[in-house]
Amino acid sequence: MRKLLIHSALTLFAVLFILPFYWTFLSAVKSTAELYQFPPVFWPAEWHFENFAASWGKLPFNTFLWNSTIVVVLSTIGQLISSSLVAFGFARYRFPGRDGLFILLLATMMIPWDVKMIPLYMEFNYLGWINTLKPLIVPSYFADAFFVFMLRQFIMTIPLEIDEAARMDGASSFDIYWRIHLPLMMPALILVGTIHFMNAWNDYLGPLIFLNDQSKYTLTLGLALFKNPHDVDITAVAAITTLLCLPPLVLFFFAQRYIMEGAVGSAVKG
Amino acid sequence: MATNGMERRGPRIPITPYLFISPWIAGFLLFTLGPLVFSLVMSFYDWPVVGERTFVGLGNYQSMLADDPMFWESLGITTRFALIYVPFNIVLSFLLALLLHHAKFGVGFFRTAFYLPSVISGVALVMIWNWIYSSEYGLLNYMLSFAGIAPVNWLGDRNLAIVAIIVASLWGLGGTMLILLTGLKGIPKELYEAATVSGVPGWAQMIFITLPMLGPMLVFTFITSIIAAFQQLTIALLLTKGGPQKATYFFAMYIYDNAFKFYDMGYAAAGSWIMFVIVLALSLVVMRWSAAWSYYEGELKSKDGGQDA
Amino acid sequence: MDKAIIRTAGALLALALASSTAFAEQVLRFATWDSDESLAIEQAIAKKFEEAHPGVKVQVEAYGGDGYDQKLAAGFGAGNPPDVMYMWNFPQYHTSLMPLDELIAKDAAALDIKDIPEGLLNASKIDGKTYGMPAGFTTHVVFYNKDMFAKAGVEEPKDGWTWEDLRAKAGKFRNEAQKTYGFAVDAKPDPYDFEQFLWSNGTRYISEDGKTIDGFMNSKEAAEVLDMFGAMAKNGEAVTVNVGENTSASTLFKGGKIAMLEGAMWNKSGIDESGVKYGVAMLPAFKGKPVQSAISISAMSIAKDAKEPDLAWEFVKFYTSPEAIAMRKNDLPVRTSVAENQGMTKDPIYKPFFDVLAVSNKERPAFLKNLKWAQIQENLAVAIEAAITEQGNAQTHLDEAVQRSQRFLK
Repeated sequence: MRKLLIHSALTLFAVLFILPFYWTFLSAVKSTAELYQFPPVFWPAEWHFENFAASWGKLPFNTFLWNSTIVVVLSTIGQLISSSLVAFGFARYRFPGRDGLFILLLATMMIPWDVKMIPLYMEFNYLGWINTLKPLIVPSYFADAFFVFMLRQFIMTIPLEIDEAARMDGASSFDIYWRIHLPLMMPALILVGTIHFMNAWNDYLGPLIFLNDQSKYTLTLGLALFKNPHDVDITAVAAITTLLCLPPLVLFFFAQRYIMEGAVGSAVKG
Repeated sequence: MATNGMERRGPRIPITPYLFISPWIAGFLLFTLGPLVFSLVMSFYDWPVVGERTFVGLGNYQSMLADDPMFWESLGITTRFALIYVPFNIVLSFLLALLLHHAKFGVGFFRTAFYLPSVISGVALVMIWNWIYSSEYGLLNYMLSFAGIAPVNWLGDRNLAIVAIIVASLWGLGGTMLILLTGLKGIPKELYEAATVSGVPGWAQMIFITLPMLGPMLVFTFITSIIAAFQQLTIALLLTKGGPQKATYFFAMYIYDNAFKFYDMGYAAAGSWIMFVIVLALSLVVMRWSAAWSYYEGELKSKDGGQDA
Repeated sequence: MDKAIIRTAGALLALALASSTAFAEQVLRFATWDSDESLAIEQAIAKKFEEAHPGVKVQVEAYGGDGYDQKLAAGFGAGNPPDVMYMWNFPQYHTSLMPLDELIAKDAAALDIKDIPEGLLNASKIDGKTYGMPAGFTTHVVFYNKDMFAKAGVEEPKDGWTWEDLRAKAGKFRNEAQKTYGFAVDAKPDPYDFEQFLWSNGTRYISEDGKTIDGFMNSKEAAEVLDMFGAMAKNGEAVTVNVGENTSASTLFKGGKIAMLEGAMWNKSGIDESGVKYGVAMLPAFKGKPVQSAISISAMSIAKDAKEPDLAWEFVKFYTSPEAIAMRKNDLPVRTSVAENQGMTKDPIYKPFFDVLAVSNKERPAFLKNLKWAQIQENLAVAIEAAITEQGNAQTHLDEAVQRSQRFLK
């Protein structure tokens, strides 16, 4: 009975969450006439699957895909290493200025992007990084406050005794981080990697401001080119959106097993 | 309060922790402090995007607080939004996480389904919601028509529009849910087993085991939700453009417009700093208040200086 | 033990900085707000220019419609603007743009500036100096769906028609069941375009000297315009778009849901693609008053500190040459000779655009008259939206907008 209740609630929510996505997919394969038919068409008369290839071919999307891939892969690696190091430092040490620094770290999450934008642009311009992918990659090697905070909260749920025991056995600080906490953190790290992947994959403002040349564009910038103030190419937007969702979705579908099962496995026996 | 015995005891300041956090410190100095100070300086200037810049001291802050009705109106809208969005975001994420935690089959499918909206990029997201809310051709009104309810102009009504934006924002709660679910999975099963053996009822297990153990994660989602609420821009910007008649003109949009519509960079910087201070203050309050009830397993406890934030 | 951390940190830095950059020979940066087809046309023109100038690469930078202003602000704000760019906001940017008058005088013969209607040149003048060369433009017209007109047995619009005519026709297309209407009223029009209705009704947003809005923006004539659109929505002659509905009027027109669409060249290619059989009529007039249209111009400007000013000017000249202008299919040719050679001034689809241009050279748009116009316009936009949504009360809302805007006129 309880099981049934849980699953019907889940199904209801799942429908709510999936339906709009299904509609995006439909918009991609519908004919123009059906797009605005009322009552809405839930099963098109003809499925125009060729719209996917056609939309992809309208702009150099292969190039965009390559750029997005570089940005996402390199920045995710950086984010994982740097954020876990910093989180470990904050969670496991007591040192002068720690609390002040931590508040400072939290504060950096709260800075509105608009206000950082022009100074950052000036800085990257000075470094000669404008119109390269560096502004989208390099900062992630310096830890992001959101992820540091998240990982720190996670590490704080791990008993201190584990560290102490390892230290008695002669492990160095780095060993404790590397050999003990990194594996324990694995589910949280995969979560960080997944969230960062989505953010980087869907980032629009960063690429918009720092990239100039179409040969450097990422996928989201390419997608935005289908929209202008007076008109939207609905079919193309829907088709590209559907395609854009697939890599993160597939990644997530596989990652979530590790996030969840890993978390159970790591439940440390006191 | 922050001073503790440990520092005074040893003459040598430990270097290891600083090495661990050095990537962030370097990043802070390179990519955050500079822009931050720069924006503070900007906020004291009449700073058009090109041309003459004039020092105006506190002039920007003064005219924003005293002469500009839009400042107070937009701040009010954002506050109202945050008051509804933040609790709903956390409670709903928590409920979904609980449901998933107890689900027996299809778990991977459901998790992916709930996370799906977080995977869709802004341009498309807005297109989808437009279609749902459209009063003439929309899905929502179509569904309601079966229940005999007359079409409602969701985004065109001054009171409903903000509700519509809250719902659209909540749709992206997948990330929050996931963080809480990870937290739930991390709670040792032995605690519940022991409690069940001792005859502790389910609701009490929830209050005395689940919530405290989830404490750090709840605090995290609470603070990040507040930040998200205050920085809410994309959905409103693309879905309602602040309308109808400024009913969804969020504070972040006000800053955005000052920067990119009116090219008044100094004024926009002043607005950002006000937002920054408000959110920081709120977060500190949450952290202080939460220290009382969250359980930190790995807390570094010492007699003369606890967690001071 | 700490060495390991240092090593990791070092490796991080190395990883972070490992990315390569490539530079080309002589690069000219050209920023455009166009996307999709219009963008493709521009890239083709740039290609032509590259062919004629070996060793030059034109980097066409398309920021998409929504990102353009933000991107340009960042570029200019940080002192790294594109060399050549599309420009409309001359009041804000002119101090960082290159005045073109001397260059135009120098190349007068080759440019044949007389071939470009003066109305198109005036829009890029600030304090008598020219900061942009028009490359394309559009006026506003009414598109109508020929099939819908034939089916409903309604007579197609004729030259010299008025808003009363339009309303009478529009009323005949209302169909509850199929959700069809005669016309669409936009609750959030671009105020720049919307001023054409005030002009046509004998008023304007702001006085000629740019100092007074009271009695202009909230004049009786201005309220009349808004009340008329409100009444059209109320009587079912028009569907109101952009009240919570981002379904644009052009989408409805393409889907055969509205019979008439007030629009411009930027709507045309989409309509062509949709397969709707359509005709084009001139903007209707207010009874007894001369009609006027807003003119939207894509003007080319050069940044004051462009790295290659001579090359930039060559590029602008090429862009406004008959050859390049003839390639632009998504807006109208700024050169009369090109329009005539292509028979556009006779073509029934294009003729109304040129007819209305001929009578639309009397007013200066509001944003050129007052530097704070963008802020004032915010209040105006709210008033327009409120009046159209409430289907009336225009005077009250316009008065409020004027009152709220006074602080920007000091």
